[in-house]
Amino acid sequence: MTKRAVVGDKVQLALLVKFLKQKGRSDIKIDDIIGLAETMAKTLDGSVLTFGAELHQEFAAIASEISSLKRDIYDLRPDQMRFARIPEAGRELDAVVESTEEATHTIMETAELIMAADGSDAEAFKAMVDEKMITIFEACAFQDLTGQRVRKVVKTLSWIEERIARLAEKLASVSDDVAAEPECVETEDERRMRELMLHGPQMKGEGVSQNAVDSLMARSDQDDIDRLFD
Amino acid sequence: MALDLNMSILVVDDYKTMIRIIRNLLKQLGFDDVDEASDGTEALGKMKERKYGLVISDWNMEPMTGYELLKHVRADSSLGKTPFIMVTAESKTENVIAAKKAGVNNYIVKPFNAQTLKGKIESVFAD
Repeated sequence: MTKRAVVGDKVQLALLVKFLKQKGRSDIKIDDIIGLAETMAKTLDGSVLTFGAELHQEFAAIASEISSLKRDIYDLRPDQMRFARIPEAGRELDAVVESTEEATHTIMETAELIMAADGSDAEAFKAMVDEKMITIFEACAFQDLTGQRVRKVVKTLSWIEERIARLAEKLASVSDDVAAEPECVETEDERRMRELMLHGPQMKGEGVSQNAVDSLMARSDQDDIDRLFD
Repeated sequence: MALDLNMSILVVDDYKTMIRIIRNLLKQLGFDDVDEASDGTEALGKMKERKYGLVISDWNMEPMTGYELLKHVRADSSLGKTPFIMVTAESKTENVIAAKKAGVNNYIVKPFNAQTLKGKIESVFAD
């Protein structure tokens, strides 16, 4: 490499650094990074040729992978995920909580009215109970709506899962090194959940039934209980 | 211990709706003196101020869980003998065993009905 070429490369790199500083580090987008990589590849191109065609091919392959990765990231549609799909799923779940709460309130309030009603006039009492039962049936319609909302959320999760899996697959094909996953660090919340056994409601068939609980509670011998862990 | 319909019962749950359900079920069973707390810390404070004949507590609450409340109650010489029923959606075997080891008197898995609650209360006071 000639002295003039080295000076030329230094000037190019200095311009790139200045460019990034002007943009401000927090404002750098993936396009800026890819632009930097492409410019650096071009800058090095002349020098690399002097080192041989093999090295040149390596750089061409890297540039190709960067372009491919850029396409994959666009395919992931992160903006749509961040600003549309995930907030929408959050709103759906909020609506589920709200409608179940509202329905529960209506049902319980109606039940309390029935419990507190004067039953001395049987005919009037029956008419009132019939009317209140209809209110309860109407309130139960929330189940249909919440079911639909939950299905929409599941659909969104599947949409995200599918795209992330596709990207992960492509990244894995770029380098086998990614097979070694980084060690997961337990968060404070995860530690609390583990230590205090906060599993939440179990899916059907996964937890123990009330009968099984009764059977466990009936065991008077500590050894019997300890044997469950053997 | 005899079952006394006039005893004070403390219901501990972070869901107002669940407290309301348990309160109504208890009312149907004849218990009128029902107090409430939204987590273990509040419950423990109330238990130190007033004597309760029974505590019915959820497991999963913040900041103090029902499991921690149970251990605090059993470790306290003045509260240690208070009957304690866990009513929870935590239905893993390890939870039931841990609660039993910590001294719970009975364990109810959510969702439950009035009959189950009645049966467990009667069982606690029959022991």
